[in-house]
Amino acid sequence: MAAEIDRQEARAGDGELAARAGAGDRAAFATLVERHYDFIYRVAYRVLGRRADAEDLAQDVCVRLGRAIAGYRGGAAFTTWLYALVLNAGRDALRRNARGDRNASAFATHAQVMSQESDDDDPAERMWDAVRTLPDKQREAMTLVYGEGLGHAATADIMGVTENTVAWHVHEARKRLKALLRPAGDE
Amino acid sequence: MSERDEFDMLRSRPAPKPRNEAREKALEAALRSYDEKFSPTAQGTVEEVRLTDRARKLWRGLMNRKLVATPAVAGLLVLPLAGYAAWQVMGGDMFGLRMASQTQDMSAPPIEPAVKHEASRGLSLDGEAASPQAPADRLREMAQPAPAPTGMAAPRLQRGPLGGQSKMVAPSLAPAPSLDMALPREESRDRFASFDTNPVRAALENPVSTFSIDVDTASYAFARRSLKEGFLPQADTVRVEEFINYFPYDWQGPASAEEPFKANVTVLPSPWNTGTKLLHIGIKGYDVPATTRPAANLVFLIDTSGSMNAPDKLPLLKSAFRMLVNGMADGDTVSIVTYAGSAGTVLEPTRASDKQKIFDALDRLEAGGSTAGAAGIAEAYRLAEKSFVAGGVNRVMLATDGDFNVGQTSDDALKRMVEEKRGKGVFLSIFGFGRGNYNDRMMQVLAQNGNGTAAYIDTLAEAEKTLVQEATATLFPIAKDLKIQVEFNPEKVAEYRLIGYETRALNREDFNNDRVDAGEIGSGHTVTAIYEITPKGSPAQQIDDLRYGNARVNNPGGIADAEEYAFVKIRYKQPDADTSKLITTPVTAANEIGAFDDASNDVRFSVAVAGFGQKLRKTDQLAGFGYDRITEIATTARDADPYGYRAEFLSLVRLASALDGGR
Repeated sequence: MAAEIDRQEARAGDGELAARAGAGDRAAFATLVERHYDFIYRVAYRVLGRRADAEDLAQDVCVRLGRAIAGYRGGAAFTTWLYALVLNAGRDALRRNARGDRNASAFATHAQVMSQESDDDDPAERMWDAVRTLPDKQREAMTLVYGEGLGHAATADIMGVTENTVAWHVHEARKRLKALLRPAGDE
Repeated sequence: MSERDEFDMLRSRPAPKPRNEAREKALEAALRSYDEKFSPTAQGTVEEVRLTDRARKLWRGLMNRKLVATPAVAGLLVLPLAGYAAWQVMGGDMFGLRMASQTQDMSAPPIEPAVKHEASRGLSLDGEAASPQAPADRLREMAQPAPAPTGMAAPRLQRGPLGGQSKMVAPSLAPAPSLDMALPREESRDRFASFDTNPVRAALENPVSTFSIDVDTASYAFARRSLKEGFLPQADTVRVEEFINYFPYDWQGPASAEEPFKANVTVLPSPWNTGTKLLHIGIKGYDVPATTRPAANLVFLIDTSGSMNAPDKLPLLKSAFRMLVNGMADGDTVSIVTYAGSAGTVLEPTRASDKQKIFDALDRLEAGGSTAGAAGIAEAYRLAEKSFVAGGVNRVMLATDGDFNVGQTSDDALKRMVEEKRGKGVFLSIFGFGRGNYNDRMMQVLAQNGNGTAAYIDTLAEAEKTLVQEATATLFPIAKDLKIQVEFNPEKVAEYRLIGYETRALNREDFNNDRVDAGEIGSGHTVTAIYEITPKGSPAQQIDDLRYGNARVNNPGGIADAEEYAFVKIRYKQPDADTSKLITTPVTAANEIGAFDDASNDVRFSVAVAGFGQKLRKTDQLAGFGYDRITEIATTARDADPYGYRAEFLSLVRLASALDGGR
């Protein structure tokens, strides 16, 4: 039955599937989520930087998607809408993590495991870690422009701001990143 | 572009592949939430996914393999698996702490072979919500090693690598866990709504705090059970106000029924922070003398689904209700409705004087079938209305171990029904039994909307406390929709923090809106609320003053009543009234006690309980306050303690301290 549905739905575009899913077509929704899971996960990974966290966030996004799909109006490309959904969920997750971190002293083991898992030697990974410390807007702009390789126009669409604002966020982010990474002996 | 290059390495880092298992689960979760949205009546409540407790998810992952298996087969399959999972989890999740659970990432590979199902098939709903007949392909999956059963009771994983036990093992029969041994936490399908601890607020910006009273005690009993089994309770299951209100306190009560309750306010130094004080509000309801009690019309709505077939469930429930019936007056009526598969009336409304008939009906109850909660509730309300006592107590008393998973099951639909019946004068109380499938969120929603209490019963002693000693409080409301609003004086109080009551917060404007529902207080009930306040100018202040603060009051003498700490307002309705009355109490230096040790035993004990609840919630403000201090305060404040509740509290603090590494 799964294969059948796949054949049927494979050709349908995102917009069409999303519209049908929004109207209650369960199979369309299943195809849509299946198709975009890797995308969701990838952006989630950019936001959180650890596989396990990214998987959790991706699942959270999937859950939100189930509730929110009826609200997709088709005005923007589906992926644009989805980006915004992932970034929102990411913001919440980071906030939640920050809250958890306050209890960090109680969880020494946790920290230990964390440090084992993250790939500290990789300079790119270290830079991503720095990106994750930026304020929300700057971090999101960097994630989309560098992580996703999007242009400023597309990024502006997703973030719901103007291109100039995106450029400004990226500029500020770069300024801050340089300051952040200098003590690490990169320059 | 040259500037760009130095950040180009950001692009070079590809994300590692997600695990298949995570992918599958995400897709399942998506469909589940989709189904919730589009056909809310078809499913049980959504299981909230919490980000950090991966150890629980591992087990759920195993359990979730969408099987409907017979218990016997299930038992065979789960044994090796449980051992494996235990071994996996042992590494990091020693005490079921929510965060220390990153270790089972490597658990993915062994599970993978069995979870290769297409997401678009989308059949997997959570355990009990899975369709009743097992399609052939599911049965085939069962032959593979990974699947495990989702019976009515989540299989228990008791201890050690070989400790997996299959099904419905009553905790009371399980070997007593020793504290020095690391215990893996079983996956349990108990559902608790998560919430954030109340933040510190600046009195200048938010001078008013509003909440509804809460006389529930379920959270304490649930945490007690958890501790006795050797786990620290999850922070989300701890509602501090329910801890505090579990214990009876000897607050001064009102003199007559005209004034249904009395508020006693005390300001005392905080034991956990120097520089802050506690604003302690103790409310005591009027104790209705036995002779003037109104007649009661009770309908027992009893869950007799298959999962109730455990010593700590149906048999305990029968004993509990038997005790309750024993305490009833001859003129009261009792009816019994069961729900399992289909709802049925076991006992038509019967006078309490005919005790034998009621006991016989209770004895005949047997567990079996699935849970048709909605139909059961409808039938119970029908009977309650049939023998309605005008001016008396009309109440449905629901006893269950889980939720309502057949029929109309969206929280909202049931909630609406309960609200509507409340309007007609039939209230609802809820008694939770057992563990592993307990849907705390639903119980809370229903009891709060039904003007009732939610209690969790794990032992016969607890049943006695809830149903016999406190029966009058539970059964005879003396005031309803009790709301508390405290206005802090920014001249005296810089910051405040309400301890507990997170799930009972109200909007400021709700206070004067009589249509907004709130908690009720019964005959002789005590309710206690505690604020931690930071006096103005105290070094303990956490929030900086605003440089351009709008609150600088121009008149040099300050605002009116500048010497008051706060102004406490309480609104309530008489049980049969629709409009509320207001009681106000200013809090001044006259309410203040200079040293913590000078406060009464009950005040100090309630503060110790508040401290314990907050410790379990890992509240930041108590980081430097050890279990030893809680023990110290509670020991000196034990008082008479005729039923041993306070002694038991002390033993729980010791358990928690040991489990939490002595902090």
